[in-house]
Amino acid sequence: MLTIRNLVVRRGSFELRVNHLAVPRGEYLVVLGRSGAGKTTLLYTIAGFVKPVSGSIEIDGVDVTHLPPEARDIAIVPQSYALFPHMSVLSNICYGLRVRGVSKSVAEARAREIARRLGIDRVLDKKPRQLSGGEQQRVALARALAVEPKILLLDEPFTNLDPEARHEARKLVRDLHRELGFTAIHATHMFTDAVTMSTRVAYVDRGRIAYVGTAREFASTPYARRYVEEIREVARILFEA
Amino acid sequence: MRRAEPWLVVASAASSLAILFLFLPLAALFTMFDPRIFAKVFLYNPVFYRVARAAMLTTFEASGLAVALNACLGIPLAYILARKRFRGRGVIESLVDVPLLLPHTVAGIAVLCAFGHAGLLAPITKPLGIYIEDTFLGIVLAMAFVSAPIMIDTAKVGFASVDPELEMVARSLGASPSRVFASITLPLAIRSIAAGAILSWARALSEVGAILIVAYYPRTLNVLTIEWFSMYGLPYCIALAVPLALVSIALFTLLRLVIQRAHD
Repeated sequence: MLTIRNLVVRRGSFELRVNHLAVPRGEYLVVLGRSGAGKTTLLYTIAGFVKPVSGSIEIDGVDVTHLPPEARDIAIVPQSYALFPHMSVLSNICYGLRVRGVSKSVAEARAREIARRLGIDRVLDKKPRQLSGGEQQRVALARALAVEPKILLLDEPFTNLDPEARHEARKLVRDLHRELGFTAIHATHMFTDAVTMSTRVAYVDRGRIAYVGTAREFASTPYARRYVEEIREVARILFEA
Repeated sequence: MRRAEPWLVVASAASSLAILFLFLPLAALFTMFDPRIFAKVFLYNPVFYRVARAAMLTTFEASGLAVALNACLGIPLAYILARKRFRGRGVIESLVDVPLLLPHTVAGIAVLCAFGHAGLLAPITKPLGIYIEDTFLGIVLAMAFVSAPIMIDTAKVGFASVDPELEMVARSLGASPSRVFASITLPLAIRSIAAGAILSWARALSEVGAILIVAYYPRTLNVLTIEWFSMYGLPYCIALAVPLALVSIALFTLLRLVIQRAHD
């Protein structure tokens, strides 16, 4: 379980404040907000890349506020996927396990297993630049899931995909979440992600968490007006389905 | 028939002259090279070969050590300059480039002022028995001083080109900062570092002005070339110059290969 209390983060003139946010184990929280609202800052602070001015972050009752990223047991899938370009897909997926002291044979067996589950077992010997956008996204996901993190952070993971690949990716991540039960915090500007993926939605507006609740309830709040067109599109897709 | 545009004719003529101007001296050097004098200088006349071989050894050993020193001290500095934001960073970046802009003799005098027997660090170096005047160490320091900026600047560009998100992801997966540096940052910046080392080595090999001031002895090939020019004339200098030119061309070819592989 992740608990954030009285968190204040400053980056230049921008300030992020989170008075209280609790994410129970196994939840899929979608952090929704427009560009520059503070979604990535929130994720980076949870991951330990950004130091807060004050407040605390606890994971399973342990205060990790001042712990370095490598000691938090959190994995991140950034928007760019950040695949290590000099390594093969297999080495990318194995990386987290290897740095945690897992033997090469065990790490590779685990990587192959997760690659098979994500449908990328045929590209294990390739370099990231040889992959399509969808494949890169799945490799980044496999690399993060391979270490079985306490919390998985996803920063706009579907933004760089075309609509069809995005639809596939949403389904894949949703199925993986149901199957593996990991805790996920997913930052996005797309309401569709919130509707199709989330257990709950946290809406971030100008550095403040303005709403926390279900996506269905969010649709009836004033903040949802910004997503009217997208909501109509979702409704159309659901209707067609 | 289409007529060539006048500016293109002028540009082509200027380009041809530029290529000729750059190529001619090098071609002349190899054309005027006399293998018999080369053999005399490096192989069978002990009066010459003892001095020439020693100078060659000094040149390559000292330049190699200068590059190693630049790598040990310069790579960490390049990383910090590429990755960290701190007050005075701009000043340090400017200071790093100063040896490039100094006249070579001034660089030599600056090295003497810092590390010489009457220099700033003399209270530390003298009791330790460290002298740079007319010593091998002096040559290494002079070479390192003039070639360090190239190593640092090139490595800095390499480190700056590594996406910081890669390092962040590696850390989130459990890697310590040193592990991230060794497994992600360094391998991705290694070609720039290699290019920096090659350019830095070429610069160290070519240095003569600062070495003349700091340590005339033991003689490097460049110093010996100047000495023999006044003593024996051009043919003997060519015998010394050709091996240096060949090494420089080999280094240049290596650099091109490194850059080409970086782009593949």
